[in-house]
Amino acid sequence: MPVIEVENLIKTYGDTNVVNDISFSVDAGEIFGIVGPNGAGKTTTVESIEGLRRPDAGSLRVLGLDPQRDRHEITQRVGAQLQESRLQDKLRVGEAMALYASFYDSPADWRDLLDRLGLQEKIDTKYSDLSGGQKQRLAVALALVGSPEIAILDELTTGLDPQARRSVWENIEQIRAAGVSVVLVTHFMEEAERLCDRIMVVDQGRIAAIDTPSGLVDRIGAEHRLRFRPSEPIEDADLTALPEVAMVEHSGPQLIVSGTGNVVHAVTALLAQRRVIAEELRIEQNNLEDAYLALTGDRGRTEESEAN
Amino acid sequence: MSATMNLTRTEGKLFLRDPIALFFGLVFPAVLLLALGYLFPGFDEPAADLDGARYIDVYGPIALVLGLATLGLVTLPPILGTYRQFGILRRLRTTPVHPARLLTAQLVVHLAVAVMATAMAVLAVVVAFDVPFPESPLWFVVSFLLAAASVFAIGLLIGALARTTTSGQAIGMAVYFPMLFFAGVWIPRTIMPDGLRTISDLTPLGSAVQAIDDSWFGATPDVMNLAVMAVYAVVVGFIAVKMFRWE
Repeated sequence: MPVIEVENLIKTYGDTNVVNDISFSVDAGEIFGIVGPNGAGKTTTVESIEGLRRPDAGSLRVLGLDPQRDRHEITQRVGAQLQESRLQDKLRVGEAMALYASFYDSPADWRDLLDRLGLQEKIDTKYSDLSGGQKQRLAVALALVGSPEIAILDELTTGLDPQARRSVWENIEQIRAAGVSVVLVTHFMEEAERLCDRIMVVDQGRIAAIDTPSGLVDRIGAEHRLRFRPSEPIEDADLTALPEVAMVEHSGPQLIVSGTGNVVHAVTALLAQRRVIAEELRIEQNNLEDAYLALTGDRGRTEESEAN
Repeated sequence: MSATMNLTRTEGKLFLRDPIALFFGLVFPAVLLLALGYLFPGFDEPAADLDGARYIDVYGPIALVLGLATLGLVTLPPILGTYRQFGILRRLRTTPVHPARLLTAQLVVHLAVAVMATAMAVLAVVVAFDVPFPESPLWFVVSFLLAAASVFAIGLLIGALARTTTSGQAIGMAVYFPMLFFAGVWIPRTIMPDGLRTISDLTPLGSAVQAIDDSWFGATPDVMNLAVMAVYAVVVGFIAVKMFRWE
């Protein structure tokens, strides 16, 4: 059963359609990822779901409600973490949790939430004294303090170091385990691949694809690449003669052989037969990042280099 | 407890954690009056250029209004700018509590601090320099509240226009000093040339000083002074509410 239904959503700023005819639905209990280059319309889409922005056209149902008209009920049942949103520097963690808990009809036990997010020791710490990872975990805690049915998390891990990022990922898995549906906007393909049941790739306000992570990877073909330095010279033609091999490239002393199906076995068998040793052998497979770049072209590439 | 009460309590605590705001907003009017009275020779004696009044009598209302202006124009606008810049107002919009309640909480906190600052300053000059306790207490309260309303309305408008902490500070200061001038901080209204005093009457702080001064020393404040403050409070307050953006 879908908890969010978006149909033909359009949002225009000036004469640009920032969101241009987007339709999708999010099922109860799933982690739904939204990825795309900067300016693709990710944040505008989720802020329309939260009711912060009024769409110019299209229909939005969140838990069967209209995010604009049923503001009060939506805010009770949907928790949000916003991009680049902070708290007052001198506000302590426990005070922030108690304050936000008091806004809701049936709040969660905020001390328990802090426990689960590993912030119990920071209860008397001022916001400005928290690390980046702790601030983001507090943002998650605040998004969950109203016991929401849906949590919308916008670029939760941007700016965190890899360790802090992984610890936030575990928190998101816990949230879903507790039965909350999650919409996750992210820059990081590793994050989307690890957490999301389905991913929507948006580009220039339109949907480029909606699929499972492996479904997205399959779309660009299950290509394998072998990268190695042959101990003895070997002719390209001998390799391309193999039906599994699609292409052979040279990179300095290294060969890059790519193909589909059983290409790894076919190439290593040929090498063994010729008594050539594949030194520094690495086998690469298409991953979500390749799929993302294929779907978004150069705009996606720029994005990734900025994000990393 | 209601969300507004909780917000007010929280914002009150945050105010108490800001030592600079606490000093200038809460204790400065009293400290200023005590310092002037004790350190300036003849400040608490009848002065010829004030027609026999004492400087300490004249500066009581000025210090009160100075304290109000500091709270409304120096402390309040950057807080509102910060709350917008940090996305705190936007964050509240995703909760069942409308961000207008955070503004209400800020105004309540600032008004409470202003009341305490005024009480301390009045008490200081009454005890230390034999200045009479406000002789028309009701008019004194009315004048004070109108003054607070007009100053906070202006602060709210600056907060509505300021996108960031620093722009809140800058605009606040640009309004603060000219207003203090017309309030008579540097040249008390009694010795202002007539033309200057007329302009002063048309500013909220000039009218505030006059109305508070009148009611302190037993007179009924001039309707014109009360009306000027009321008009600023209503008109500027209305514009501020119309122009306020949550993000």
